[in-house]
Amino acid sequence: MKKDVFTYIIGGKAGQGTKKAGIVAANFFADLKREVFQMNDYPSLIRGGHNFSVVSTSTSKIFSQYMKADLVVVLDQRSYDVHKDHVAKNGIMIYNSDKAKGKGIGIAISSESKKYDNSDLIEGVAGIAVLAAYLDVDKKTLDEIIKKEYRHNVEDNIRFAYAIYDQAYEKIKKKVNLKKGKNKKVSISGSEAIGLGAVAAGLDLYFAYPMTPSTPVLHFFASNGKKLGVISVQPENEIAVANMAIGASFTGARSMIGTSGGGFCLMQEAFSLAGMTEAPVLFYLGQRPGPSTGVPTYTEQGELLFSLNPGQGEFPRIVASPGSIEEAFYLTAELLNLVWRFQTPGILLSEKHLGESSMSVDIKPYNTNWAKPSISTSKNYQRYRDTESGVSPLLFPPSNQLIKWNSYEHDEFGTTTEEADLIAKMHVKRVAKLHSMIDYIKKNVKTVNVIGKGFPYIFTFGSTTMSVLEALDYAGIKATVVQPVYLQPFPIWELAKYKNKKVVVVEQNSTGQLEQLLKDKVGINPVLSIRQFNGRPFDPIDLSKKLRKVR
Amino acid sequence: MGKDLSTDAEITWCPGCGNFGILNALKKTVKKLEDKGVKQNHIIISSGIGCHGKIFDYVGLSGLYSIHGRSMATVQGMKLGNPDLKVVAFAGDGDAYGEGIAHMIFAAKRNADITVIVHDNGTYALTTGQFSPTSKKGFKGPSMPEGNVENPLNPLSLLLEAGASFVARGYAGKIDHLSDTLVEAVLHEGFSVVDVLQPSVVFNNTYKLYNEITAIVSKPANSFEDAAKLVKKMDKKLPIGVFYKVKKPVFHKELYGDWNPLRNKIHRKERLNQVKHLLRPK
Repeated sequence: MKKDVFTYIIGGKAGQGTKKAGIVAANFFADLKREVFQMNDYPSLIRGGHNFSVVSTSTSKIFSQYMKADLVVVLDQRSYDVHKDHVAKNGIMIYNSDKAKGKGIGIAISSESKKYDNSDLIEGVAGIAVLAAYLDVDKKTLDEIIKKEYRHNVEDNIRFAYAIYDQAYEKIKKKVNLKKGKNKKVSISGSEAIGLGAVAAGLDLYFAYPMTPSTPVLHFFASNGKKLGVISVQPENEIAVANMAIGASFTGARSMIGTSGGGFCLMQEAFSLAGMTEAPVLFYLGQRPGPSTGVPTYTEQGELLFSLNPGQGEFPRIVASPGSIEEAFYLTAELLNLVWRFQTPGILLSEKHLGESSMSVDIKPYNTNWAKPSISTSKNYQRYRDTESGVSPLLFPPSNQLIKWNSYEHDEFGTTTEEADLIAKMHVKRVAKLHSMIDYIKKNVKTVNVIGKGFPYIFTFGSTTMSVLEALDYAGIKATVVQPVYLQPFPIWELAKYKNKKVVVVEQNSTGQLEQLLKDKVGINPVLSIRQFNGRPFDPIDLSKKLRKVR
Repeated sequence: MGKDLSTDAEITWCPGCGNFGILNALKKTVKKLEDKGVKQNHIIISSGIGCHGKIFDYVGLSGLYSIHGRSMATVQGMKLGNPDLKVVAFAGDGDAYGEGIAHMIFAAKRNADITVIVHDNGTYALTTGQFSPTSKKGFKGPSMPEGNVENPLNPLSLLLEAGASFVARGYAGKIDHLSDTLVEAVLHEGFSVVDVLQPSVVFNNTYKLYNEITAIVSKPANSFEDAAKLVKKMDKKLPIGVFYKVKKPVFHKELYGDWNPLRNKIHRKERLNQVKHLLRPK
């Protein structure tokens, strides 16, 4: 049986409320106890252009948007032109006949909206009215939705929605009844999951300079931080961001940073400083297409290799990338723990596709740990005490013992040194720390997700995992998905068994960076690589066709 | 660590360096601060990279030896992490007015409750004497053998404009005056900067000049306008002392009031309840 998926697309200009309409639609589907996945596509501008929101919903778990929609609502000609090929076989196109010409059903949305103030903003509401008509939802329910979701100018919005609903109800001959699902779930964005995961692990301070696609995490803490006990700070540039976070860690505050590629470049010297001073700081690196400014509001996985060795010099680094929004929650918490346990910088590597998409989740907040470092009880404190594990216990000010963190090579106390023996000794200490970190991760951390059964073995990582899972589910393909969650240290111990197997690699970059890692580190030689690098996440139907070819 | 705040580290400044004056003034400052109720273990320092930065190893105070131009950002993070601490950033003129000038301007703008002590010797001494942001035009160094073609910056004028609530100049050759100035700077609630004239005996020996031209001003200017004139004054006499001092809201309090992220940390159980609440199906 084919997966029961219903997809809704609403497109229009920036500022017309298409993203909001997507959220409202997703909430409505959630009310029907269905699972949802919502993706917002928008260019880097504030008014005009073309924005759209796509919401796919199913009675079973759904990991991706679909680009073939049962219902497409477009508010202008440009949106019509973009989406005319996004109508599914039995789907319908509803267009704003005041602004667009085309095939499908025209509704005079703008002539109706002109009757109200702020007519542009209100047009997204039309998308909801059309959806309600198409799904044969009664007016009372529509009324409730508008009241709940659009709190400004409620009366105008209701009158406008009713007018559109009436037109749509009459013109749409074939209506659809959406089956109800089993459980009502909350849907959250990847950015919210990251924020909440950090809260659960004890984060105190979040530092970020605005940069898409990492900014929503800053916004999350700015609006929710106070009640959760997390302060958000927006300094003058990324260099200040990273150095302030290190300063905060010195006092014992759990600190985290959010940025994207360009901003992360500016943080390289501070990343290395964290490595040398052994400062626990978690970096959230949200990827967008590069190089350079690239395409700010779209998605890519082009910084995998870059993220593995940031900062000059040799020191332990941790990099991990979540394969779903739920995993983003747990992994953020886990990484905050790891950077404090091993006093070294770590990176939560993700993408626009995860950070800015939303999906239904079932998260258990108690399945997390509270980041706790090892604390010195010695009467003769040495910041860089040479221990067997390479981890030197911490102490925080105010203390009557001296606490010296040092960017120069240093002795155990923390005083600058140029002595040959001490230089070598401290290198050995940091290498020991790297090995104890790897041992710990081997024993205690799930570094690779293996999902499903069958052949081939499909290797992927990050948000592309969601695309792969949905493609397999949609097409009913039985295969094994292997998703390395940890990328540094790279879990060779888990992956070696796939060395002579039939392996396919799916990733969102043009040079095959995961593939390169698999070849170099494990000796895996894939039979096929599927790469997409146009800024858009995979469509599960397209991807399933490519995956079928391997069989 | 000795009772007089000295450490076991070998001091590698050139004999006669102005940095000794600053180190001695700092030690006096800590004692005076203790008399005024500031506990020594609450004074946390950071420094940049250059000759000035070595002070980190030479003084028995806790802190973080940062990287070039960033100590001002480091201490702002420390203050945000635990506002009970008194944080002091040491910086050279290359750190504060070159590599890290954005941090200076913004720390002044937001009135971050930090103290920045700039060892201003007008040269990059540790890298063998290149011109710096405060080098005079014509200053000769290995990167400008014919003489510096740029004009020097007036950092205190710039920081005053940016919103600094405490602006002062000291001289490494007048240790008691310098330590009094530093005490006032650390006690000031808000952004305080002390530009310390620091002779470099090898690359820019200004002892004779500063001994002749520095003149102590007894009290801060009465207005912003007067302070703006005072920091620009450079005729026969070069004023030293506190030029400007006003009360203004400080950054961390504007951000989170009297809260302390560490002392008032919300417990795990309460946090998880909040997370659960945000994750309930709406």
